[in-house]
Amino acid sequence: MNDAPPVDFEDRKASFFHNLSVVWVIPMLALVMALVVAWQTYSARGPIITIEFESGAGIAPRETELRFRDVTVGVVEDISFGEGLKSVIAKVRVDQEVAPYIDSGARFWTVTPEFSASGVTGLDTVFTGVFIEGSWDGEIGAARDSFQGLSTAPLYQPGEGGLQIALRSIPGGELSADTPILYRGIQIGRVGPARISPEGNFAIAEAVIYEPHGRLVTPTTRFWDTSGFSFSIGASGAELNFSSVASLVAGGITFDTFVSGGEPVGDGSVFEVFASEADARSSVFNASEVDLLEMRVVFDENVSGLAVGAPVEFKGLRIGSVDSVTGLVDPDLYGDSRVRLSVVVGLQPARLGLQGDVSPEAALAFLGDRVRDGLRARLASGNIFTGGLKVELLDVLDAPPAELIIEDGAFPTLPTTQSAVTDRSATVEGVFSRVNDLPIEELLQSAIDFVQSAGNLITSDEVRGAPQELSALIGDIRSMVSSDTVQEIPQTLNAALLRLDGILLQIEEEQAVARVLSAIDAAAEAAGTVGTSVAGVPQLVEELVSVAANAATVPLTEFTDQVTEILSSADALISAPATQDLPASLAGALDELNRTLAELREGGAVTNVNATLASTRDAADAIALSARDLPQLVDRITEVFDEASATIAGYNRGDVLSRDAQAALRDISAASEAITALVRMLERNPSALIRGR
Amino acid sequence: MQVVRLERIEQASQNVTARSLGLVACTRCHLAWPKEVATCGRCGHKLQSRDRKSLQRVWAFWLLGLMCYIPANLFPMLQTRTLIYRQEDTIVGGAIELIEYGSVAVALVILFASVAIPIGKFLAIAFLAISVQRPSSVSKSQRQLLYEVVDYIGRWSMIDIFVVAILSSLVQLNVLVTINPGTASLFFAMSVIFTMISAHSFDSRMIWDAQEVDKESAKDE
Repeated sequence: MNDAPPVDFEDRKASFFHNLSVVWVIPMLALVMALVVAWQTYSARGPIITIEFESGAGIAPRETELRFRDVTVGVVEDISFGEGLKSVIAKVRVDQEVAPYIDSGARFWTVTPEFSASGVTGLDTVFTGVFIEGSWDGEIGAARDSFQGLSTAPLYQPGEGGLQIALRSIPGGELSADTPILYRGIQIGRVGPARISPEGNFAIAEAVIYEPHGRLVTPTTRFWDTSGFSFSIGASGAELNFSSVASLVAGGITFDTFVSGGEPVGDGSVFEVFASEADARSSVFNASEVDLLEMRVVFDENVSGLAVGAPVEFKGLRIGSVDSVTGLVDPDLYGDSRVRLSVVVGLQPARLGLQGDVSPEAALAFLGDRVRDGLRARLASGNIFTGGLKVELLDVLDAPPAELIIEDGAFPTLPTTQSAVTDRSATVEGVFSRVNDLPIEELLQSAIDFVQSAGNLITSDEVRGAPQELSALIGDIRSMVSSDTVQEIPQTLNAALLRLDGILLQIEEEQAVARVLSAIDAAAEAAGTVGTSVAGVPQLVEELVSVAANAATVPLTEFTDQVTEILSSADALISAPATQDLPASLAGALDELNRTLAELREGGAVTNVNATLASTRDAADAIALSARDLPQLVDRITEVFDEASATIAGYNRGDVLSRDAQAALRDISAASEAITALVRMLERNPSALIRGR
Repeated sequence: MQVVRLERIEQASQNVTARSLGLVACTRCHLAWPKEVATCGRCGHKLQSRDRKSLQRVWAFWLLGLMCYIPANLFPMLQTRTLIYRQEDTIVGGAIELIEYGSVAVALVILFASVAIPIGKFLAIAFLAISVQRPSSVSKSQRQLLYEVVDYIGRWSMIDIFVVAILSSLVQLNVLVTINPGTASLFFAMSVIFTMISAHSFDSRMIWDAQEVDKESAKDE
């Protein structure tokens, strides 16, 4: 019956530590480890910084990270509202490692996905959620633990190289903010958000040119806007300008240094952004530009067409532009309630060519002197196409004396003179519309048609047959002269003479010798007349030559061809045997006449001669009369050819031509008919030739 | 030997223990030896009538388990990362979320397996460990039952770890969905392991020893 051994108790009491199980080491170790870890974690905890944002867009406690160069360096621990609920304050636990670098130069902004015309940024935040991006330089500066968060990413990050400049819109111009800065099409910088100057007269934006391109910017560098596109119609034609599709959508600013040799500028320089490259270029040569001198001009007439930005010219040189145009009704000042045109112009003193002090005040004084000498402003037509007006300053001789009106609180007012505005636009428009309305195609077609008709006419059988008809006519005349009836004329004459014999005998003695002499004179005269009529033929040839000369001056080949055709036809006409025969026929006719006269001489008894001399003189008179008709005939033909020549010479005088040609042809035809009628009349009544009736 | 043993059994009436007979059972091969024998002659295991350091081990591992159970509940158990969001759930947080989504049954299972059982085990082991040193109103057989239940049920707490392990090994669809075990899973597993060791370290014979101590003390009085 052994009890529980007392050894147990002795053992237990003997040594507490001896009885202590080794197992306790494990929890002790765990405890120590936990404590070490806890202490380490605690001691490794960075400080808390507070960042004040305008809005807590997507920032969540213990989730939103603070990143630096896309590496997480902290976590938002808490979000609360700022004083007066005006802002959101995020408390961020930053890593101890980077905490010292977060000094007063640090900047923070939230990164959210952004879709803009120039691209997509922050896409990773779609998956990870918004994060806060911080940026600071690599040097430890004055410690700071509360910051103002930015609403957008800053243009450049501390520690990054880049030329920081400011871009300013020109007065009255525009500035595209948040756009890339392009140089030769490559983005080398960026324009930040713009703000309006306190006076409201221009916009200004921070911009950065990334390294190493900052050296491209010198004091003579000019920036201009390449946003959108420009379309212009000028003397050189229509121009459509845009730099790239990207800048078309997103806008852009580019620059160039037109004058070499400038030193690179430092941070903080301010540049103006011009509307176009041309403006930028022209501004280079006005490097010494100073503030604008603003003046007012009140024009009596209220003419549309003067736009803001219209040039102000002084002796053809642009010295400024129109800043504003308003209507003005001031019955008190002008005594009537007409609407006047009040124009505020900005003049660039530097362009007036002043010596020495170039300032608005000096320019005002200069203009005041000039106004006393007769300088006046007037409206003038600027652009005949658009009807735009410009303001022109010019010296007006014997102008009524006037002074610059300088009042406090108002722009100095320039006196005006009669405007030189012609309604040129309307005139030009009218000219253009009339030119436009001209039936040029129809005209050309008519001309071609006419020449073809003329060619057809000349080459037509009727015209070709005209010489033959003339020849036949003369042949008819000859046959008529040589016909029996005419041949009988001597007999008839003889009989008549015999019948007259008795009468003649009565007066024979008194006047015989004188009458014979005058009869011979008349015959000679008749023969001379026939000679002159034959002499008319060379004249005809000359006329044809002049026709050819006229034809030679016709410029168009088509016409020339046609005219050549005409000429060849005319040549054929002239060289036609019938034409050649014309003088021969006339000669033949005269021979016949001669023979008749010879027969008269032979047939008539010598004794009768004296008695019939008086009658012969009458007959010779009649022959002379009929022979006088021949020069007329030749004249007629000459006229025809004159007209034909005039027709061809005046082919370009429009429709008159064809009418003239037709009239000429009608004349030729009428002439032929007249000759035919004459021949028929002579055939019917040959004695008319003798009797002259 | 046989006779002696039988005699001793008879003498010891109903509550004869090996210890009271001066015997020590080998805990490995269960062969009984006289208590003077230090090592089991059959299997070579060290013989010990009562493990005096058992309670120390119980408490040590119990403490370790409890220590691990704290981060197991504070840290996220699962990290679910999908294309558009990342979620980290602690055990209780996840269960609450499930209740909010309406899956009360699933949430209850999780709460039961991951919260109720471990905490119950801590309480049960602590109770048992205390009850062997202090008088207890709970009967010995009930305590023995409690011990058996604790010992048996301990391994089922690992079901959480299995779920996490299976999910994180199956759902690895790269960027689309990824489930990773959170820090808590490790601590939870450690906690379960340590409580199991703790429960295992408990020498259930002490439950019954305490009764004798009670009796003896009662006799002394």
